[in-house]
Amino acid sequence: MKGFKKHVVLVLAIAVVLAACKQPTEQINSAKAALESVMKAGADKYAVDEYKKLDADLKAALDEVAAQDKKFFKKFGTAKEMLAKVLTDADALKAALPAKIEAAKNLAIQLQGDARKGLDAAKALLDKAPKGKGTAKDLEALKGDLAGAETSFADIQKALDAQDYIAAQDKAKSVKDAAAKVAEQVQAAIDKVKGVKK
Amino acid sequence: MLIGLCFFATACSTPPVPPELSQAQRLDEELRGIGVSFYAPQDLNRFERELRSAKDRIVAERAKFGWMRDYRPAAADLRKVLEEGDGLRLRIVSLKTSKTESFRARADALTERVAEIKRMTGYFNESAPVRMNLSQAEIKLAEADLLLKKEEYDAGSKDLAEGEFHLRAAEQAIADVLIRYRDRNEIAKWRTWAQETIEESRQRGTVVFLVSKIERKLTVYKAGAAIGSFDIGLGRYGLSDKLYAGDEATPEGKYRVIQKFPAGDFYKALLINYPNDDDRKAFAEARRKGLIPGQAGIGGAIEIHGGGKDSLTKGCVGLENKDMDRVYDYAREGTAVTIVGVVSIENTILAEIGKLDIHD
Repeated sequence: MKGFKKHVVLVLAIAVVLAACKQPTEQINSAKAALESVMKAGADKYAVDEYKKLDADLKAALDEVAAQDKKFFKKFGTAKEMLAKVLTDADALKAALPAKIEAAKNLAIQLQGDARKGLDAAKALLDKAPKGKGTAKDLEALKGDLAGAETSFADIQKALDAQDYIAAQDKAKSVKDAAAKVAEQVQAAIDKVKGVKK
Repeated sequence: MLIGLCFFATACSTPPVPPELSQAQRLDEELRGIGVSFYAPQDLNRFERELRSAKDRIVAERAKFGWMRDYRPAAADLRKVLEEGDGLRLRIVSLKTSKTESFRARADALTERVAEIKRMTGYFNESAPVRMNLSQAEIKLAEADLLLKKEEYDAGSKDLAEGEFHLRAAEQAIADVLIRYRDRNEIAKWRTWAQETIEESRQRGTVVFLVSKIERKLTVYKAGAAIGSFDIGLGRYGLSDKLYAGDEATPEGKYRVIQKFPAGDFYKALLINYPNDDDRKAFAEARRKGLIPGQAGIGGAIEIHGGGKDSLTKGCVGLENKDMDRVYDYAREGTAVTIVGVVSIENTILAEIGKLDIHD
């Protein structure tokens, strides 16, 4: 009877040790899922650096798991801590993401507004430019330039509607620059007339 | 004492972890940073697998007593991993450089074409549709440039393709305006008119005016020899042949000065006999075909006048006032005025148009 008890204790002790040596599969899966989830939420676009760090941290944790897995006496404590941190950081990033996306959206809308102002300013300048000697042909061409920029302006809204705020920002910047270029040339045409009048 | 000495000896003989390990880890981070996971994911997996295996060897060694540890095989593995990783890094850097270069070359070529076409729009007044497309192309190229800076080659290539699409539309808009200027029959007709006019000047010893629309020149001939050439402006749609009142096109044909105005609305002016018989025939034909809008008439009051070569006229030929003074002095009532699209097939403007990828 005494011998039997000893065996039971031994078996239980081995079971406890083996349980402790088991790969933290659930945590690994949770961490991977968390990373996938933040990526799908747009982290790779709106929080590029944070997402890269998270990816690297997960990789380091998986490395640690793999390293321990090859040992006879496996200690997954550190790996578990690392995985837990990945999970916490991923959750934190996911929580912070809406604000980052909102900031990107606001910036895109602000740039869209700037582009609109630029187009309106160029148009106002074109309207008041003297269409007399020496400018009519240039102004006609610049009207074409402005019409092109105006058409491209619609693309900004399309990108905003598609919730692609980074693309919307790029488009808005390009349209704003194009409008500024037109305004500059209209001003040059106006100055040319002023020069002629002198 | 003996035990203490043993410990001391053990501690002293514990070899350090090979420095190649941290180098390889840094390289791994660098490879991920430059996007190897995107460009060569399988190669990166292999690199990381080998790195992990080398790390495992180090872990295995660290599990031993200090004096029993031998990192040399692991260090040798790591050196191989580093060598492979370096090769991979160089390959990706070179791939990205070549992608950037080919992207840049394509973008530069398109930018150059935009500039070339934009310059050509200076030759004619009907430039607004061309410029609209060019402006859209420029905006797409600017967006592509922003994407290139972020190494987003695929999205950038899409923008380049859209830029090229607008560029082609601009070229086609030029073709729509200039289609007649590439037509050999039209050119032959214009050349015949020009030769006949110059021949008349030579035979009679008189002054004649030859207006070439595409070259924007009014050349004065006396006794068959050119004695002066002046820059001119045309109607808003000056490169088209005038067909009816209000089309703002400049007529083509053989005309005569029928009246001289020393002080017209636009400085001095020479009225020509538009419409002539050919114009009337063309108008009647166009009306029959339904090409004349509403109740539009054939129009008239086409002049050579001052007021500036850069102004858009309603179909007249405009000159700088100082040039108009000279042309006015050369002119008499009855002076021949021949207006043609182009005189010489070899002129540089047509040569430039020929370079465009346009289809009639």
